[in-house]
Amino acid sequence: MSTAWQFYFSTLAIYLAVDIMAVWGLNLQFGVAGISSFAFIMFQAIGAYVASVLTLGPAQPTSFQQYIGGANLPFPLPLLAAGLAGGLLALVVGLISLRRLRTDYQAMVMLVISLTATYVVDNETHLFNGPAGLSLVPKPLFDSLGLSLISYQWFYVGLSAVICVLIYLVVRRFTGSPLGRAMRAARDNEHAAAALGKNVLALRMTAFVAGGVIAGISGAVFVDFIGAWSPGSWLYPETFVYFTAILVGGTGNNVGVAVGALLVPIGFLEATRYLPNIGYPGFVDALEWVAVGVLALIFLWFWPRGVIPERKRRFPRAGEERRRFGVLALRGRS
Amino acid sequence: MTDLLAVRDIRKSFGGVHAVDGVSLSVPQGSTTGLIGPNGAGKSTALGVIAGALRADGGTVEFDGDDISGLPPMNRARRGLIRTFQTSSPFSRLTVLENLLVAAQNNPGETLLGAVLLGKRSWRRHERELVDRARELMAQFEMTDKEDEWAGNLSGGQKRLLEIMRGLMARPKLLLLDEPMAGVNPTLARGIEGHLERLRHDGLTMLMIEHELGVVERLCDRVIVMAQGKVISEGTMESLRTEQEVLDAYLVG
Repeated sequence: MSTAWQFYFSTLAIYLAVDIMAVWGLNLQFGVAGISSFAFIMFQAIGAYVASVLTLGPAQPTSFQQYIGGANLPFPLPLLAAGLAGGLLALVVGLISLRRLRTDYQAMVMLVISLTATYVVDNETHLFNGPAGLSLVPKPLFDSLGLSLISYQWFYVGLSAVICVLIYLVVRRFTGSPLGRAMRAARDNEHAAAALGKNVLALRMTAFVAGGVIAGISGAVFVDFIGAWSPGSWLYPETFVYFTAILVGGTGNNVGVAVGALLVPIGFLEATRYLPNIGYPGFVDALEWVAVGVLALIFLWFWPRGVIPERKRRFPRAGEERRRFGVLALRGRS
Repeated sequence: MTDLLAVRDIRKSFGGVHAVDGVSLSVPQGSTTGLIGPNGAGKSTALGVIAGALRADGGTVEFDGDDISGLPPMNRARRGLIRTFQTSSPFSRLTVLENLLVAAQNNPGETLLGAVLLGKRSWRRHERELVDRARELMAQFEMTDKEDEWAGNLSGGQKRLLEIMRGLMARPKLLLLDEPMAGVNPTLARGIEGHLERLRHDGLTMLMIEHELGVVERLCDRVIVMAQGKVISEGTMESLRTEQEVLDAYLVG
């Protein structure tokens, strides 16, 4: 394979890992807990910003970019801080929007928060360098490893895959446990859940913050790879790309939404890259958003459960127990 | 008999309408109490206030010796005050078995500590016990073959049964039933009545809204009659049948 193709495929693989992490985070919030998390992209964005500024050194007064909190921290501290930042932001947004509001209003509030955040970061240029964004973020371990550019690409594919697997193991502890079941119950009928003693707000906040942490980490993995991040990368339509991925893949199913991440942000949007350039410059790019919207509508109308629907949890009976647990043992204890 | 539930002078208005206008009632430990009255009498509103789903404008609700007037529904449920809903409220995208499991109280696997930090080993044994208990319950209610069905796909009558089973899975001290047979065919209604009769025989305390007076007569030890937001009478069904005020309420309402 030529170096150019290797760059292309390794880059796609890293994007895929980032998108899969992100849809797992969003699936916890939307698919499992039923929160219309229309501010989702913010959690990824704050993770990316925090990872960037903590990896960069302190901003110099004469430098081309201005930002807060340059700290020169070594990998993986910026990554962990990004998760923390995503979780904290989710905590704040959750406390504003998940209490005392009907779910349709929650969606509105989140959309407004997402739009507001873009304006704030655009205009308060001392925070994260405004619309120009941050760039020249050092790649983690690049200097100490001393790899060639292409070898580093593949190293980073492996690194993001490992982070992806770790996140999956945590996500499964949510979705495969009685906690996840209680979240799904609160999703299906909050009044009935409360009448059975469930703390609906706590369940939603838990899913929301966990999703925020995961989104923050995904943002850090992304920005450490491409080395730049600006408000143009996290406009609110990006949230709907992830929502579409979840609807296409199968709301509530971890494997399904991962397939959705492969089909929508990677497959579908990458395919439009090969469309001939028609109309004025940027016309095809704009069509992407139309296409994503149409795709979401088609699935909502004709295939609402997605490609791999939420599966039924069956419980082994006494006779089946050994065999079923044998299979589970192979899959790992989580 | 001591009173498990004691409601004093509760009031609830919607706009200018006094849906519940100074209702006091009590439910003795171990009894099955019926709550009857014409449409719009305020029965469901009273039940909503007792369960905490509606915030009362005044009055107190005492349960098991404690004043629970200020508590939200989840805390009342955790104390053993469990309700069912007039319109079935299954968790549609959970299976029947999962609907039951989720109703169990104090599940170590439902905490962040148990589910995420400690992992499956910390709750697997408890989960198996719950599954066994849920299967017993399904066997009693002849729903065993529906175990893996999505709750949203059940028929109307099966959803009513699920609603009662789910309430029982929470191990209630008091079960509030809001028209447990509403909208099901007569055969199934008799089936549900049989199940309730069995629960009564087992000593479960119940407060039940029901329109079908024959059912109330067969199931309930005591009956409370409401009309226009007030309690107008109480006693056994037999004694109530002779009261003019009760008859009027039904004829007028």
